[in-house]
Amino acid sequence: MYPIIVFSVSGLLMLFLGLSVNKKSLLPYNLLFMLVGLASNFLDWNAPGLYFNGMLEISNPIILVQWVLIFAAILVSGISSRQFDDTHAYPAEYYAIMQFALVGALIMVSFQNLLMLFVGLEILSVGLYVLTGSDKRNLRGNEAAIKYFLMGSFATGIFLFGVAMFYGATGSFDISSGNSVANNLLEGKMFFWLGMVFIFIGLLFKISAAPFHFWTADVYQGAPTVFSAFMATIVKTAVIFALFRLAAYSFNLEYENWSKFLVIIIGLSMVIGNVTAVFQTNFKRVLAFSSISQAGFMLLSLIGLGAQSYGNLGFYSLSYALATISAFGVFLVISSNTIVEGRPSENINVFDGLFSRNPDLAIILLISMLSLAGIPLTSGFWSKFFVLNDAAAKGYFWILILGVLMSAVSLYYYFNPIRASFKKTDLGKIEISSLSKYTLYVCAALTILFGIAPNILRSLF
Amino acid sequence: MNKGLPQDYLPLLIQFSLALGFVVMTIFASTYLGPRLRSKRKEDPFECGIESQGDARLPMSVKYFLIAILFVLFDVEIIFMYPWAVNFKKLGWFGFTEMLMFVGFLMAGFYYIIKKGVLNWDED
Repeated sequence: MYPIIVFSVSGLLMLFLGLSVNKKSLLPYNLLFMLVGLASNFLDWNAPGLYFNGMLEISNPIILVQWVLIFAAILVSGISSRQFDDTHAYPAEYYAIMQFALVGALIMVSFQNLLMLFVGLEILSVGLYVLTGSDKRNLRGNEAAIKYFLMGSFATGIFLFGVAMFYGATGSFDISSGNSVANNLLEGKMFFWLGMVFIFIGLLFKISAAPFHFWTADVYQGAPTVFSAFMATIVKTAVIFALFRLAAYSFNLEYENWSKFLVIIIGLSMVIGNVTAVFQTNFKRVLAFSSISQAGFMLLSLIGLGAQSYGNLGFYSLSYALATISAFGVFLVISSNTIVEGRPSENINVFDGLFSRNPDLAIILLISMLSLAGIPLTSGFWSKFFVLNDAAAKGYFWILILGVLMSAVSLYYYFNPIRASFKKTDLGKIEISSLSKYTLYVCAALTILFGIAPNILRSLF
Repeated sequence: MNKGLPQDYLPLLIQFSLALGFVVMTIFASTYLGPRLRSKRKEDPFECGIESQGDARLPMSVKYFLIAILFVLFDVEIIFMYPWAVNFKKLGWFGFTEMLMFVGFLMAGFYYIIKKGVLNWDED
């Protein structure tokens, strides 16, 4: 609860700091605020209960997820160093919006009332629409922002319609009221089912699960890379946990009904995400499609819905965030060193000869790609293992086989940048700011650490 | 009668169709029956004043929108002032401090927009 307050205030402070403080010294302030938010979460530790008239629920597992979100935001800020130095950038506003969006994300993982979920979703989305179009001089960025805004607001409308149906059926916005219609006859449940489907559709859009994924590649490509990383990690984590809360508390008695269509969505996400990613030449588009397939894997824990599923999902989110942020971070450094036609090149061939240009970055890229592909000794392996294990426990074996098959497909496109980085080249060394270097070291180290000893993190949940 | 059957609403339907029919009829009747001079001048949207030039869809400076938003902001502030003024004595010091806080926040925003140069109209 406290980080929500901290970030609401610090976002405003950030705007005012932008008036008086030099552009380059804004990032330390941003990191300071985020660390304060991270620390303020300790105040809630071991104080479970409902807050703000039953609007938010706080418990230790929720606090852990909030830590994951804030930690991911810190890492994203870390890789943003030196990115907003040019004259047309407004870092104070960017960081302020990032903190506000984080407030929305924090609300979304701890809501107890569907209205709170809507408020959180809007705070998060509206901030992201702005961030997507924040590079005003980039035509693709403008296109991405308008696409994201239009489709996102439609999805929010669909979600809200679902919430209205939910309210109509149960007479309450409280998420636990879903159980009250369990004994109703078919007629009384009709609206409840309608609401359930629409709520799912609205939220699945936001994590770009397969039939609702069409915006993803264009938006990830058009948005400034830092914010693509933000979108890929924080939004996905927040929305998947919102979905998990709904599945576990509101719709758990309807499991038989929604799990059937969710499992099809998971299959579609894996197939479309992985197969389409093979044909991409733009690295941001590759990561966009990879994020679609990862969304499919994350949804597996909703199918599992066991005692361990929440922790598995938390583990998956963190390991995915670490790997994705380090992939985006390495790419960010290299692409801003490779200018083609006045813009940073986004083609996969920017990685050519990375190992001789900067061996550290090449190793970090290798670790992050292996983790995304799910190779043992990285956290990505365990995260995939746990969620597939969850789904298998419920008897969905065909999705398990599909998941493993699609992981094999994903090896192809995850190994492309690695292969490129060991090519020979005569290009010079790459310089990297010390902050983003240490951020990337932390990402890679944690990926390996959780790969060797996953229970360090998992036992906390 | 304890329940409204669909046919009970028939008069409403007739009323709606009559209203709609009247509107449609007047539009068509006045166009075709009335005496009418047709010329380029007459078909112009404006008969007097400066002759219109070009398209109405011009790219407008974002500044206009900013100023419009700021106007709404301060307009809303005044709306909050009125009830306070009406109940000024009743609310006493409590109302005064609350209002001071509200205006304080608003002034912080005002300081921000001035520093951002939103009101520098001659800059581009």
